[in-house]
Amino acid sequence: MEAKIIRYSPWVMHFNAGACNGCDIEVLAALTPLFDPERLGVKLAPNPRHADIIIVTGALNKKAAERLRRLYDQTPSPKFVIACGACAISGGVFADSYPVIARADKVVPVDVHVPGCPPRPEAVLYGIKRLLDKLGG
Amino acid sequence: MALVEIPIGPQHPALHEPVMLKVRADGEDVIGVEVNTGYNHRGVEKLLEKNSWVRGMYIAGRVCGICNAVHTQTYVQGVENLMGVEPPPRANYIRTIVMELERIHSHMLISAVMAEVIGFTTLFMLIMRDREKAMYLKELVTGNRVHADIHVFGGVKRDLDEVRRSRVLDELRRVEERLKYYRRVFETDYTIVRRLSEVGRIKKSDALKLSVVGPTLRGSGVRSDVRFEDPYAAYPEIPFSVIYRDEGDSWARMMVRLDEALESVNMIRYALERLPQGPAVPKAIPRTARPGEVFSRVEAPRGELFYHIVSAGGTNPYRVKIRTPSFLNVLNTESTYLGHRLADVPVILASYDPCISCMERVLVVDERSGRRVYMSLKELAQVGFG
Amino acid sequence: MSLTLCGRAFKEVAPRRYVATVEASELRRAIEAVVEEEAYISSISAIDMPKEGKIELNYVFWSVKHRAAIVVKVAVDRSDPVVPSISDIIPGAVKGEMEAHDLMGVVFEGNRSLRRGFLASEDVVVRGVYPLKKDSGV
Repeated sequence: MEAKIIRYSPWVMHFNAGACNGCDIEVLAALTPLFDPERLGVKLAPNPRHADIIIVTGALNKKAAERLRRLYDQTPSPKFVIACGACAISGGVFADSYPVIARADKVVPVDVHVPGCPPRPEAVLYGIKRLLDKLGG
Repeated sequence: MALVEIPIGPQHPALHEPVMLKVRADGEDVIGVEVNTGYNHRGVEKLLEKNSWVRGMYIAGRVCGICNAVHTQTYVQGVENLMGVEPPPRANYIRTIVMELERIHSHMLISAVMAEVIGFTTLFMLIMRDREKAMYLKELVTGNRVHADIHVFGGVKRDLDEVRRSRVLDELRRVEERLKYYRRVFETDYTIVRRLSEVGRIKKSDALKLSVVGPTLRGSGVRSDVRFEDPYAAYPEIPFSVIYRDEGDSWARMMVRLDEALESVNMIRYALERLPQGPAVPKAIPRTARPGEVFSRVEAPRGELFYHIVSAGGTNPYRVKIRTPSFLNVLNTESTYLGHRLADVPVILASYDPCISCMERVLVVDERSGRRVYMSLKELAQVGFG
Repeated sequence: MSLTLCGRAFKEVAPRRYVATVEASELRRAIEAVVEEEAYISSISAIDMPKEGKIELNYVFWSVKHRAAIVVKVAVDRSDPVVPSISDIIPGAVKGEMEAHDLMGVVFEGNRSLRRGFLASEDVVVRGVYPLKKDSGV
């Protein structure tokens, strides 16, 4: 129930876990004036301790996956994870490569998956919106 | 003065080359920088060996999302050489247009990031807004916003029709107008000039020793551009000037980028107006290559991109070695941070264009008291200023 | 067409690409000659050749003066891949040598920053596997 409180101002932290930067610039683009996420109260948090939502991009390099787990533990509850892009969902083209885990939900619990390679900024915002709708009950 | 060690971006490898900067500082002065890597290693070279030539086309594009068209170009032009196919002139022109559009949006992105790093958030938002215009153009030409994937062995996947051609020409004018404005801002704004000049200087003689490439090399007065020295695609037919400056500091590198973006606008216009007629999309894709090796070079937005492709014949590559420009620009410049203040570290890092600057988070450890403080790079830049 | 540097002929294999093969003992002299030609080091690429029992190292330079890529090739024994480091001649080579060491296991004598885990993930390092070798099994 206390999850409701983040509905009005979800702060987003973006974590690149071995992505090609394609998703990252689209997440960054989604936070700029043309798409204006602040009308939903969405803001980029610089720090996991300020964040409500973690957007994970990338194929989860093993070294970065440890960091992701640590970051997830540092984020105060209630917290939610959005897996953004084909790589975070299934590994994408890197699925068979040796240094990657290839799925974000093997490391942290994922609430919303946003598919695409990379997803458009609209899709990223739609993913956040879907999460907020779910919380609003 | 307390000795502090600041790891910048261990968990934010926003660079396509995985990098973490470990900065040692005595009070405000930087006394050592060490670059740590491994957070973004995806085993692309091994993956390319395991997959066929055709699949490699998509994997090469996914080495970097920002400069994906140049990665595909480097791979495809090398493999085309081994396969013995030649793209038609129209395909070469379309490839060139896509690559130059990519250069524009990449240079706008780093200008925006640089503005954010020095605390000029308004400028960051403005440039990001106008960058969407360049992204829109890229989408018009290729059908995709980010991963262009327009290259194919022996041509391009999608031809450019008359409607979209005139649309791109039309929209290009607006991009040019905004670019001119941002160039003027970076050239004349008192804060930006004071903040960037004399910071992270690389002398001309050191630039070659350190083996930096691209705008970093040209910002140090070396006139070296792959498009000019080792032309590929349609560059031999398109006139342009190689931009270089002698200052060698962060400001010079930014000015080189903005001038280059303006030059790119002219090149795209020239290419669109003189787009050759004829086929651009190949009817069939070759799947096998002759044995041999090829050294493929392309000027990416960040500098020389190099692929060494070795083939033993057959449908798979034997070995593909990729050397991206940021590998040299970021890793080889550890010494340029020395003697500067902590607040200059993000500026110098951003001036090498490490894809997106590592702006997420840094950890400050006070070695004397063992106190740990978390702050963002942006906060660090502001705390350290003055 | 060929290019002669320090008494060594570099053969033009493709437009603006000059290649020469040297012995490991002559490597440093050859590199010194190349660096003199306003060249920066572009890449060090290591190629595993299990059939021949060797690892081939390609030192790729771009010479601003000649407007050409100059490639110095050297073959090292696959079971004992040791080659002198060139990082003191051209500092830009340090990271390329570190990469070749981490992924291919080549030892560059004289480069003190060599270590595993520079790029490769920890499980690969612990097993002592060099991922880019053909028989690495990763």
